[in-house]
Amino acid sequence: MSRFNLEITLGAVLVAVTSIVLIVYGLNEPARMARAEEEQRAQAIEVGAGLFESNCSGCHGLKGEGIPGLCPPLNDAHFFTNRLEEVRWSGSLEDYIISTVAGGRLVSTRPDRYAGNTPLGEPAMPPWSEEYGGPLRLDQIRDIAQFIVNWESTALGEVVIEELPTPTPRPEEAEDPVARGRIVYNERGCGGCHTIEGLSAGIVGPNLSQVGAVAGTRVPDQSAEDYLRESILNPNAHVVEGFQPNIMPQNFGELISPEQLSDLVAFLLAQQ
Amino acid sequence: MLKAVNFQDLRQKLAVALDNRVRAITAGLGIDELRNVLRGDPPVEKPNPRYKVHTTSFLFHIRPRYYQKGSTILSHTFRLGFFTMFFFMVELVTGVILMIYYVPTPNAAYQSILQIMSEVPFGNLMRDLHRLGAEAMVIFTFLHMLRTYFTGSYKKERSFTWLTGVVLLGVTLFLSFFGYLLPWDQLAYWAVTIGTSMAEAAPIGGNELNLLLRGAPDIGAGGLLRAYLLHVILLPLVAILVISIHYYKVAREHGISLPARYDEISLPKEVEKEVKSRQDYLPDLFSHEIYLTVLGLFILIVVTIFFYGGAPLEHIANPQQTPLDTKAPWYFWWLQGMLKLGDKSLMGVILPSLLVVLLFAVPYIDRNPSRLFVRRPVAVAIGVMFVLTLIMLSYMGLPVYGIETPAATRIVQDMAPEEGMGPLREVPYDQLQTGIYIANETPSENLCPELDFGCPKLEEFFETYTERLNAAIESQDLPNGEAIMLIEDWQENLKKVTMRILWDDPESGERREYFRHIYIHKNHGGE
Repeated sequence: MSRFNLEITLGAVLVAVTSIVLIVYGLNEPARMARAEEEQRAQAIEVGAGLFESNCSGCHGLKGEGIPGLCPPLNDAHFFTNRLEEVRWSGSLEDYIISTVAGGRLVSTRPDRYAGNTPLGEPAMPPWSEEYGGPLRLDQIRDIAQFIVNWESTALGEVVIEELPTPTPRPEEAEDPVARGRIVYNERGCGGCHTIEGLSAGIVGPNLSQVGAVAGTRVPDQSAEDYLRESILNPNAHVVEGFQPNIMPQNFGELISPEQLSDLVAFLLAQQ
Repeated sequence: MLKAVNFQDLRQKLAVALDNRVRAITAGLGIDELRNVLRGDPPVEKPNPRYKVHTTSFLFHIRPRYYQKGSTILSHTFRLGFFTMFFFMVELVTGVILMIYYVPTPNAAYQSILQIMSEVPFGNLMRDLHRLGAEAMVIFTFLHMLRTYFTGSYKKERSFTWLTGVVLLGVTLFLSFFGYLLPWDQLAYWAVTIGTSMAEAAPIGGNELNLLLRGAPDIGAGGLLRAYLLHVILLPLVAILVISIHYYKVAREHGISLPARYDEISLPKEVEKEVKSRQDYLPDLFSHEIYLTVLGLFILIVVTIFFYGGAPLEHIANPQQTPLDTKAPWYFWWLQGMLKLGDKSLMGVILPSLLVVLLFAVPYIDRNPSRLFVRRPVAVAIGVMFVLTLIMLSYMGLPVYGIETPAATRIVQDMAPEEGMGPLREVPYDQLQTGIYIANETPSENLCPELDFGCPKLEEFFETYTERLNAAIESQDLPNGEAIMLIEDWQENLKKVTMRILWDDPESGERREYFRHIYIHKNHGGE
């Protein structure tokens, strides 16, 4: 066979084979596209989970459980079944989350239960989108919303997530009230509003980085320890200048045990 | 009435009319001639109408009438120039299709790539073809240049063709470089940030050039739009113009060079006659081009579908977060390697510019008239040295060479990288059994007795993690090191893995800690 004929024959075969490959690939496209979409959603949830932890968990809790008196939970049945009706939102829950996170909320919709209850006080939730002066881009807010929406099955009780057993604390931690107080500080979301350098960066409440040194000088004849105790149990007793009363939850006395309170005070006193 | 129609006459008239139509379309080939061309038979009419086509038809007039037989042998050209052009055409076609969906703004670019991958039929294939085609085009351009250099085909009347070729090499690299930014992911953003910052190091006008490229001090909406316009309009236009000049020289002026052994050594009469005889464009070169095109498409499509892992796409670009390992595209590793050797403006701008000038000047520096290997040992030696230096520099451009990452960070980054799969993500989701795993405490065998088939991959992973820690303890990088891995159920189908490493700081003696949270969704995908 001459080269010309050989090339024409081979070429025809190659065209046929390539066409078959493309047809088979094309038949597989709907399935591949569906899989790609699933994967993209999964990756958005992963990214959203990380963003939620670094931006939202201070107030709304590491697992979206919220902080009583301060921030509503995002992982309960109420949020997934009644919330949209409560605020008369006509779009989807995901849109509602995106809109709320992006623009923040000036006044609480449930002022009796959560922060944002004074008309001239701090907003219930600051805006998070770059557009309105927050730190997040819109795509990041979308990812966070995907992550929050993914709580639905556990919120409605369809799926149960088992908690890891709390690791036994190291002996030196278990015996040190300051270390235990630090855990209380983190667990109760104090850092959502207060700043302690190297630990949290909240700006709603006074900076606590040197509170151990300052507390004793605030009220004449009151020791630092007593001052801190009183301020946690009855926040309106002495409001630091420049801040509004009624912002800090009034019910920490019911939420934490007396031992936890002493640990927390010990931890705060150590912030010199 | 039917009797009045002369069928004989009608048939003839039809045949003539058809022949005229065919001649009009093929710019001169009659229907019999066309059939002969398609069958590979010799021409029927005289003078040879197949040459006439080259003056009457635009598309044929830019093609060669013939090449000398000796110059078309495969082992002389390897069809490298042809395939460079082939990949350029692949890039044009797939690029236009991708342009339909792509949006060049920072807010929408990444989203539009995701859309191409998940909502457009054949979208992912187009993206992979475009990416692979671009890399192939860089390879073939470079190989084509090497071939031309080593066969000495840049000499005498071909020196200007060489010069246009060097321009095309540059255009190809810039096309790839600006196309690299368009997906707007971490990979793209940081590679191009590094690349354009090199322009800043230029001794004169560097700042201005950098600003012109980026549109702002940092790459943002302006920079993306500029890269996009360069990639889809300016550079392709320049490429088409220069390719035309480059090809016109070859096709219409000096042809492909004969292998030096046919050109410079006296040959027996019949061999010389055979070597210098004409290989006509119609039908031989033409059919060969079609064959190569089909072959190229076949290989490219099969490789893309069955052997290519997919064009990379990392997380969306985040100007606030510098990735741990930034890497330029592989064809710029040599430049990254040079940058590690010295001053940014000397190594990143002045020397590469000098290199380009040298490349341009090759035909004017090398005045040796011979093209035979044995008669130009210095040129060949320089060429080999050049290739070896490039490979060496490219190796030095890799992140493994000369960049120190703190030990704990390195271990976690290697086990669970910020981008891509890595060993942790390769553990099947079902095997990620919740629990606390402490290196050198938790026995690494039979980790998951409750799982039906155990968790061999997780065990393997945990073992590697422990080994890495122990190696770092031994080398005194992590004195008194501890490594903990925590796997928690976080949401439905979502697990949280915390990798934490603690060690004593050798200088202050304080306990230090490094950790990373990795969230893994069941449907994350990957191989």
